[in-house]
Amino acid sequence: MSRILFSIALLLGVAAPTMGQTVIVGSKQFNEGYILSEILAQLLEDRGFAVTRKFGLQGTLVAFEALKNRGIDVYPEYSGTLEQAILKLPRRVTYAELQAELQRRYQMELLDSFGFNNTYAIALGRKSAEHLRLKTISDLAKFLELRIGLSHEFLNRQDGWPGLAQTYRLPQRPVGIEHGLAYQAIREGKLDVTDVYSTDGDVKKYDLFLLDDDRRYFPQYLAAPLVRSDLDSRVKRVLEELRGAISEEEMVGMNAMALEGKSFAEVANGFLRGKGLLRHDTITIGRSKWGTLLYRAATHVKLTLIALLAGMAAAIPLGILVYRLRAISRWVIYVAGLLQTIPSIALLAFMIPFFGIGATPAVIALFLYALLPILRNTTTALFSIDPVLKTVSVGIGLTAWQRLRYIELPLGAPTILAGIKTAAVINIGTATLAAFIGAGGLGEPIVTGLALNDTALILEGAVPAAILAIITEFVFESLERLLIPKHLLQKAVE
Amino acid sequence: MIPIAFDHVSKFYGSEVALEEIHLAFEENQTSAVVGTSGSGKSTLIQLINGLVKPDKGTVLVFGEPIDYQHLPELRLRMGYAVQGTGLFPHLTVEQNIALLARLNHWEPGRTKARAEELMRLVNLPLGLRARYPHELSGGQQQRVGLCRAMMLNPKIFLLDEAFGALDPITRNEIHEEFLRLQESEARTIVLVTHDLREALKLAKRIVILHRGRLMQYGTSEDILKHPANEFVEHFMDAQLKS
Repeated sequence: MSRILFSIALLLGVAAPTMGQTVIVGSKQFNEGYILSEILAQLLEDRGFAVTRKFGLQGTLVAFEALKNRGIDVYPEYSGTLEQAILKLPRRVTYAELQAELQRRYQMELLDSFGFNNTYAIALGRKSAEHLRLKTISDLAKFLELRIGLSHEFLNRQDGWPGLAQTYRLPQRPVGIEHGLAYQAIREGKLDVTDVYSTDGDVKKYDLFLLDDDRRYFPQYLAAPLVRSDLDSRVKRVLEELRGAISEEEMVGMNAMALEGKSFAEVANGFLRGKGLLRHDTITIGRSKWGTLLYRAATHVKLTLIALLAGMAAAIPLGILVYRLRAISRWVIYVAGLLQTIPSIALLAFMIPFFGIGATPAVIALFLYALLPILRNTTTALFSIDPVLKTVSVGIGLTAWQRLRYIELPLGAPTILAGIKTAAVINIGTATLAAFIGAGGLGEPIVTGLALNDTALILEGAVPAAILAIITEFVFESLERLLIPKHLLQKAVE
Repeated sequence: MIPIAFDHVSKFYGSEVALEEIHLAFEENQTSAVVGTSGSGKSTLIQLINGLVKPDKGTVLVFGEPIDYQHLPELRLRMGYAVQGTGLFPHLTVEQNIALLARLNHWEPGRTKARAEELMRLVNLPLGLRARYPHELSGGQQQRVGLCRAMMLNPKIFLLDEAFGALDPITRNEIHEEFLRLQESEARTIVLVTHDLREALKLAKRIVILHRGRLMQYGTSEDILKHPANEFVEHFMDAQLKS
């Protein structure tokens, strides 16, 4: 019995009580972020802290907000990113000035750097670089026909393309492309130029040539753990052991290993061991592949189901209310429709300042998406009931509640159920994006797979998600057969 | 006791007059028919009795008291109601349709079953149809189920709004016979709205003739046939009985 309760608690994400203090380590969604975070996490675990990993956060802002709102306790950040994207400082500052400014504005502490500089670089295939005799970024201005594809973040950040184009007077119009896909595109000749990180393992793997930043446009991007000042000093002391511990070569090496298919945990573990930083023989309690899959699927179903049930609990009564008070019907439907048009990733990002990261904002976002299909189908179902039947049900003496319970809802059931089905399928798809804000689920391998440009890993999430969607369809079909007389079903299909 | 009475009742839809100054009383345990051309206000009249429509002027009295519009469901349970096109609930079987009101009013199941079967026999519905859905029945059968449902709680008042309107002549005749038989076995006050004067003469003792919302004549069928109150009634009867 207690075992069952325990598994239920695990499934529901109820944290089991731990002996030590729990530190939540976050990471941004790219290889180096994962590896550095894994190094931080394993080091903390080795020193006796319980660690919760919230990896794969989408972009700087999400990670930074999460740290601010206590969704995470630490994540690796880069000095240049903080200077440009977060603090938006008008001039280059020293590392000490940066630390002071973060303390003053955000009560955050940027610990000492790991020791390597992962700055932005502009890269193209080595062969085309040789062919065109391109050596510096300045040279780029001469080749208008070059196709430039940049990661969305770089494309839009002031310290990214806009500033670069101004400094070097670059006339090209770049397009936005998912970072993980850009290399593939270059290899296949679909793209010529992209932005890379100078420690990127892909630089080796895809044999890219880094153009010289001859006007010293890019600032330094020294990687370091970023924490809130109020973080337990024992935790900080552990993190400070990594000061100057990682060189550029080591980082490129680790990134390349991750590209070759080693897990981030393995890469991090190998590094820590090589440096003699681990005191204990870590016992990695890894789940089996199927166990991981099942766990992810369970998380996924949990997110979807809670959101769906909440959506039903809100949208069906709201639909009934709209049916009874026609005056508000249009507005309610408009608002619900508006919610539906917000791109999922944007909606998830909006949630962070209010609800932090993890399952809560994900469930709330999914709940909002579930509203419209259920609401619309509920009102449609009720409004389209034969008026003769409505008159008769009033005329024979049914109370408002009896009409709803015994006549209107049963007659509307096929359409309402179809709305719930639509919401469920939408939610299963959208829930894959929840991994971007650390909610886990089947989106996790997809997010990591995108970072690694690893199709197999992407499929590891995408295929089960598709199967889940099919199972959902099947479950709802069975429910329909069970709950609704056949002759009413044919009508609902229209 | 006078079961249904209209005390100077008027009803308007916007500036349109639906009924004007209707003042009449229906007699207990008799069938009265309300006839008139379309737009005469006859449907409005019947819907005033069960509170589906509220008067703008005057008072409607049922069971000797003005209608309490705060407690309509209770009142309606004491009045059977059947409409054209049957109004059977498609998601319920024949038996569930007939027994719906008894079930919602917590009748004991044995009593419910016995009453439903009794009614089905009275209107010549084979008991084998109990588990069928309405769409599996003929028009006549559906109409009979509608009658059974309306009479389930043995109401003292029974309102029929063009209830036999959509049937073929033969089926209609059969149902008329069953209707008369029902009335003999369980006498009640019936108000029957129809556009068909012949049906009215066959089924009702007393007849109300409406025209453009005004009461033209109210009397026994003999009265009306022998002494039409005005030119309209005369024309109306000529037109209906000759065709």
